[in-house]
Amino acid sequence: MVGKEHASMLPKASTRQWVADVNGVECSVLTNNNAVLLDLLRDQAGCLGVKRGCDMGTCGCCAVLVDGKPRLSCLTLAAEVEGSKITTVEGLADGTHLHPIQSMFAECGGSQCGFCTPGFLVVISALLEENNSPNDSEIKNAIEGNLCRCTGYQQIVESVHAAADILSSGKELADLTTAKADPHPGLGELE
Amino acid sequence: MSDEMEGYRQQPGKLPFAKPGSGGSKQFSELRDMTMIPQSEGGEKSQPRGPHGHDELITGSIIGRRTPLIDSNWKVTGQAKYGDDIRLQGEIIGKILRSPHHHARIRSIDYSKAEALPGVLAIATGKEYVARFGVLPVTKDEHALAVDKVRHIGDLVACVAAIDEDTALEALRLIDVDYEILEAVHNISKGLDDADDPIHDRGPYHIGKSNIQKRVYQEFGRVSEVKNAEASSLKKWKFAGVNHGFTEPHAVVANWDPRGRLTVYTPQQVPHYLHRSLADVLEIPMHQINVFRTFVGGGFGGKSDPFPHEMCAAILARKTGRPVRITFDREEVFWTNRGRHPSLLEMNIHADDEGRISGIETDALIDGGGFASFGHVTTYYNGVLHTAPYELGSFHYTGARVWTNKPASGAMRGHGAVNSRCAVECALDEISEQLSVDPISFRLANLLPPESTTITGFRITSIGMRECLERVKKESGWDEKFRKLPLGHGIGIGCGFFISGSGLPIHWDPNKFPHATVHLKIDMDGGVTIHTGAADIGQGSDTVVAQSVAEVLGLPMEMIRVRSKESDTSPVDLGSYSSRVTFMNANAAISAAMDIRQQLLDATEEITGVEAKNLVIGDRRIYNKRDPAAGISYLEALHKAQEEKGALIASGAYRTPPMGKTHKGAAAGLAPAYSFSAYVAEVKVDPETGQTKVIEAWAAHDCGKALNPLAVEGQIIGSCHMGMGQVISEEMVYGRTGNLQNPNLLDYKIPSVHEMPKVTPIIVESNDPEGPFGAKEAGEGPLLPILPAVCNAVYDAIGIRANELPITPDKMHTRIMKKCKSLGIDDPLDLPNPSLEYSDLQAKLEKRAKDHSDRDLARKLDSDRKPYMNGALFGLQEDIAPEEQCDDWVISVTPTEEYMQNPRLAGSAWRHVEARHKGDAQ
Repeated sequence: MVGKEHASMLPKASTRQWVADVNGVECSVLTNNNAVLLDLLRDQAGCLGVKRGCDMGTCGCCAVLVDGKPRLSCLTLAAEVEGSKITTVEGLADGTHLHPIQSMFAECGGSQCGFCTPGFLVVISALLEENNSPNDSEIKNAIEGNLCRCTGYQQIVESVHAAADILSSGKELADLTTAKADPHPGLGELE
Repeated sequence: MSDEMEGYRQQPGKLPFAKPGSGGSKQFSELRDMTMIPQSEGGEKSQPRGPHGHDELITGSIIGRRTPLIDSNWKVTGQAKYGDDIRLQGEIIGKILRSPHHHARIRSIDYSKAEALPGVLAIATGKEYVARFGVLPVTKDEHALAVDKVRHIGDLVACVAAIDEDTALEALRLIDVDYEILEAVHNISKGLDDADDPIHDRGPYHIGKSNIQKRVYQEFGRVSEVKNAEASSLKKWKFAGVNHGFTEPHAVVANWDPRGRLTVYTPQQVPHYLHRSLADVLEIPMHQINVFRTFVGGGFGGKSDPFPHEMCAAILARKTGRPVRITFDREEVFWTNRGRHPSLLEMNIHADDEGRISGIETDALIDGGGFASFGHVTTYYNGVLHTAPYELGSFHYTGARVWTNKPASGAMRGHGAVNSRCAVECALDEISEQLSVDPISFRLANLLPPESTTITGFRITSIGMRECLERVKKESGWDEKFRKLPLGHGIGIGCGFFISGSGLPIHWDPNKFPHATVHLKIDMDGGVTIHTGAADIGQGSDTVVAQSVAEVLGLPMEMIRVRSKESDTSPVDLGSYSSRVTFMNANAAISAAMDIRQQLLDATEEITGVEAKNLVIGDRRIYNKRDPAAGISYLEALHKAQEEKGALIASGAYRTPPMGKTHKGAAAGLAPAYSFSAYVAEVKVDPETGQTKVIEAWAAHDCGKALNPLAVEGQIIGSCHMGMGQVISEEMVYGRTGNLQNPNLLDYKIPSVHEMPKVTPIIVESNDPEGPFGAKEAGEGPLLPILPAVCNAVYDAIGIRANELPITPDKMHTRIMKKCKSLGIDDPLDLPNPSLEYSDLQAKLEKRAKDHSDRDLARKLDSDRKPYMNGALFGLQEDIAPEEQCDDWVISVTPTEEYMQNPRLAGSAWRHVEARHKGDAQ
């Protein structure tokens, strides 16, 4: 916020009761009519997995699925998608089973710092839903709106191929609860 | 035979434990994998460099295997908490009022209207917290909020805490600031001139009345020899500033707990320096502060300074008694910057008739923006980091960093080395062309051997440069392509050299604290808790430290947990900068794990009666190496060891050995090990539009030993992406009036997936004698060679040498048109394609490269080798320092009068007299 040219944010907009299916659960919140979907998901629906990278539709970190189609939540008014089925990264896993793309992102190095990962994952899960054996250029076209600064995309594309292999072969993935390490759960021991 | 287990499990009161394995999710332990155990320990893994200090600790289970990051499940499920994801009970929102002027004195700030706005809880200005801070103790020039003046657009003026974002933004609008606008400096060269009102007044250390923050002069070797050069490349370069472009904007949450202790949650690469700065600014002891590093959404150097907004959050939280969260928008990230310095570089390189590099003369003027940040070091790095991997006849460096009224430049991946390395490698390409030799052969015939000393006194231990060059040459099909591809299609080579940890910690002190410390704790559950302060910023440092401990103790990764987030529980680690973490932190972890290992072996000896030296550790099992059937499980040994003292604990630390020469600035660039890399890039340039596209890259990097090849490859490919961005599209565009015109990710062009070429990562392992299991860095060095490789490939494609980055199509098109005009060609498709006809020197260089290759191999395997000093290639005796055997070998760090008669651009900084003991000290 440089200078003081921006318009006053006050007084507040009128409010509405907003209802939608967020990750399979009905979410009903009182929100401003001008609320942006990204803010609503993060601040009110508790979906902190949806990330804010640029707030202007250039990085893809905030991508979510609205009725199965990828959409940038920072450029979407919450009111527009009222009553829709919204899927965020938190909704990709099936119970304790990760979605194959989640699993393969970890396995193939598709995620380094991990901040862009939620956006990539939802976009790719939509791609795999339509096409379970995409080629390189189909994958690139699907993720062209997502920015990753760590991986150089190569290991992301490899992850998609690996996940597509699992999906097309119908192989089962291991249950998350039986697996792996407990390195440091996010903010487990707050205070 | 006493190998039989006796009694232990039959003792009354002892629980019976499953014998094989115990612990971990698999019931039975696995056999040792001999293909992962080095030959010196009886395994099958070949050792190109002979035995290594940590070889006997290798159990063959973890190190060297592709290991997914241990925190990746948090990231892929959206559970990883980054800065803005920390939501505390009762949190309020902080916002920052930023300067709309480049350079102005603050006459007054009136915030009475803002204060009266309902919902505003606190407002702070620079008046209250005046202590200076900065990442380097020698250049503390930042304040939490501007005290007397603002130094760039976006400089922090005031901050507000309010119940919500809207109210905080409205409050900012209501603050009236009266500015007296001062003359601003935007042009780098102008920063060298005297100014009426310099951007900073550093008191006793001020250089004239100028805006020069730091200047360096270094002269080594037979500088006069360059006059007899056979080939010379003289070039002036202009490099645009670039930003890290990490995806997570800065965010911080500060909270004072009910006992009055402060916790700051922040995505920091270097939590320890923030810890120190917070104590300085808030004037409370360090033990009253807990710095909590959240997940970091990309750093690349951009989150390694202690930042004013982190102080602001703590100040606002102190005033309101509530947790304060400040999150930046993307524009604020650009105003904070700390990206790569915009630079004006003059690079002159000379070679003699034998094809030896007789001299490098570098002059680097770098644009520091409004604050010092890491600039003191950057100024050195622009010169000293290109004194290897080649043997040099002489080295002459003049560098200066100036303050200008722009957002501060700082450390960015490849800190200080990137631009000048690009210039060096392009010059070597040009020299090879002048000498009519192959540029790879030229490089192979000029490399320093292992265990040698560079011209400025850096200690080279392992060096895999030769293998890197040979591998990329082979894999890229270099001999079939170089100077043989059609117009508009080219291939180029570039090399790199980077420090693996800085020998001198930023906050050095006479007590010689270690650089890295790791604590281990194992209780009866058998899991190992690692406490480390190393900041995992996505590069996988938590994974590497867990791997190191798991390897030494022969445990599966699932039994290791890492606690690396809080300064309250983590021993001090200096942070994730200068590619130090794997080298230093894993070394510390290994030494702690060795301690635990010994305790376990002693306990096993007590149970089984087999001497500890005859025991080996396998997968959760400790047994007699001569009779693998005789042994006990890990848990049995652990519980025996715990009998007297409870949980096993150990502390391990790492400090660099004493190194280097004694001249002023000798410590800059000094590292316990160095990484090397060589890349080949293939590009297509459209002669009609000037559009450059990188189509493929072969990237060989010597990381000593790839502890986690998956992560190393990720670093190499990611580096190619970032470096290529700097060559083809990324640029912080400052307009005519100094305004930053593209502070967003739409206009700041980071390559998307479509621009990314296919990268073939090639890992070269030189097995460093001091690295953890032989490892060196892999995070920053891999970035350096991609820039010159692309520039040289562009020359091969179209015959035009870049002298300005980025080479956007418009610039390229102008150059192509200019060249067409000068050659009298109408159609750019008729431009001559560069070609190569070898001279007699080529055979000589190939012969020399062959001899050197044999020499290097002999040195690797000879444990009783003599020292090798830079200069031997020029006929000096290799084991005596050149200055001791050669009268005209110069070592100087102050300019001669002769030089000052006609200094280069940055060298002219020495025209000013340092105003010692004048002005007001801070």
